[in-house]
Amino acid sequence: MDRDKLLGLYRQMLVLRHFDEMCLDLKMKDLIMDGFHPYSGEEAVAVGVCTNLRPDDAVISTHRPQGHSIAKGSTPRQIFCEMLGRRGGVSQGIGGPMQWIDTPNNFFCGSIVGSGITIATGIAMAMKREGKGRICVCFFGDGASNTGSFHEGLNLAAIWKLPVIYICENNQYGEAMPVREFVSVYPISKRAASYGLEGVMVDGNDVEEVLAAVEKGVTAARSGDGPVFIEAITYRTRGHYGGDPEYTYRTRDEVEWWRKKCPIARCKARLLEEGVEESVLIALEQEVVRELESDLAWALEQPFPTVEQATDHVMIPLAEGGRLK
Amino acid sequence: MTGSKVKRITYCDAIREALREEMKRDEAVYLIGEDIGRWGNLFGATKGLLQEFGPERVKDAPISEAAIAGCAVGSAVMGMRPVVEIMYIDFITIAMDQIINHACKYHQLSCGTVNVPVVFRTQGGVGMRNSSQHSQSLENWFVNVPGLIVVMPSTPYDMKGLLKSSIRNNNPVIIIEHKSLYFTKGDVPEDEYVVPIGVADIKREGTDVTIIATSWMVLHALEAAEKLAKEGISCEIVDPRTLWPLDKETLVNSVSKTRHCVVVTEAPAEGGWSSEAATVVTEKCSGDLKKPVKRICGMRTGIPYGKIEKSVVPNDEWIIAGVREVLE
Repeated sequence: MDRDKLLGLYRQMLVLRHFDEMCLDLKMKDLIMDGFHPYSGEEAVAVGVCTNLRPDDAVISTHRPQGHSIAKGSTPRQIFCEMLGRRGGVSQGIGGPMQWIDTPNNFFCGSIVGSGITIATGIAMAMKREGKGRICVCFFGDGASNTGSFHEGLNLAAIWKLPVIYICENNQYGEAMPVREFVSVYPISKRAASYGLEGVMVDGNDVEEVLAAVEKGVTAARSGDGPVFIEAITYRTRGHYGGDPEYTYRTRDEVEWWRKKCPIARCKARLLEEGVEESVLIALEQEVVRELESDLAWALEQPFPTVEQATDHVMIPLAEGGRLK
Repeated sequence: MTGSKVKRITYCDAIREALREEMKRDEAVYLIGEDIGRWGNLFGATKGLLQEFGPERVKDAPISEAAIAGCAVGSAVMGMRPVVEIMYIDFITIAMDQIINHACKYHQLSCGTVNVPVVFRTQGGVGMRNSSQHSQSLENWFVNVPGLIVVMPSTPYDMKGLLKSSIRNNNPVIIIEHKSLYFTKGDVPEDEYVVPIGVADIKREGTDVTIIATSWMVLHALEAAEKLAKEGISCEIVDPRTLWPLDKETLVNSVSKTRHCVVVTEAPAEGGWSSEAATVVTEKCSGDLKKPVKRICGMRTGIPYGKIEKSVVPNDEWIIAGVREVLE
């Protein structure tokens, strides 16, 4: 891969990692008021996938949306605000850490496990009808593969040959339950065959591998070949939510083993191999942290929504007397 | 009724006419559901539309309520205007996530920038001896969800006009048809018309008691009123037509005049819309009411199969008894 391109991916992954780690800190300080679901360790998936997308492509995400959203184009400022429940967030702080919609960025939430898989079919159906070659990427976790929505949504997209890219982020756990205990077949990509799709499995901690697989899938989906199923094997190195009792369901050794496979460290090693100076990479990381700190400082200055704003946009008002225009 | 010429059509014809007219009017409108195309819906409500508009506009979907509802939500977000058919309201349980958590939340979560103009058509109630998993009245659930419009028409005129309004509306709407009403007939104008969402209709004027009734119960209330008229009791029948938003004004004006009120629903009373209607009346007409509001509702049971199915939901005799009680 081109060195500058790899450097760009590295930078984006650093943004996601530091954003996440800063959010964990905000969670510990109770400034994030809801559960915060860390994305640390899975950055290569969001970045590898979203780098292949056009701004007018859509993404539907999960209850762990921050990595996907920022990789798709939401600004860290907006997402910090959403985490903190402040205006300035893409959902004006009403959505919170699990559910937001970034309309200009074509980014949608699907915080109920599995639900996005059915919504993606409709987005893709409209895109197919429109005929502009747009596609919808649907992220979901290993746990979602057991929901009814998974089976219903995949079947519909397959029979109607819709331009959807399914990205199953297999991070090894559905909350506290290990994936091998809750799926009847493993890997999950085997299930794609049940719907006539090829299930592609990639090392989700290798950004170059993710990027290449998705690039191929995007070409196929854009050209009308129907849905594509990619399972990215990865690991969340933090708990299900910030501060969960993670060592009740997994061992420290296991977490350590996966930390050694850190996608960012691996990308860094590749860049060093390519002859990039370590000092350049350190400077880059410092710059990312500085920018994020400034974004967070800005977000912390933003006002909270008022109670009156809590009822904004619940419904589009009917004209007077209930009569339509 | 507006328009000079009228025609007599069934409730089912009214659905088809509304769909057909709106599909012709707006390219973005499309239908999706189980057996709506080749079969033309269980009752013939969509018959002929596949031939007229083609498979891209009339989409026969697999038996997958969650996928159908999700597909509708996703496509609506992208500017299409889906009209979903959930064959029986009992099956909507499988699609609740897509309706409640997505269709009804996206507008707010997008700060008003995303509209979800989906119409969920479905049918409920007794009348086909379909037993407990195919005959329920579940409207009470939906009235409780912010962001959702709930429509329950009782006549062909209201059905056609409200379905057209619902399709043109940019909010998600659930429109609950009634299986005992599909083949009832009524006058409908030849000319184009719509019935506004959130406006109740006085189905019969009267002076002694207000009967607030929904869907099929409107017909029973009319029968009851006819019988009571012979004894000199004058019933005013108010059909809210839209359960939410509720036209409180029409309800309150009627009860202020008659000073007696009976609320009739096929759904069980507990935690339901009948309580909402009764409470609105009680709060706003307390000085006028001569007796507490009486509710006549379906029994709290699974609808039994066969001969006795209609015995567990209100009929004209139940309503007459209720009216007598408040007029005592």
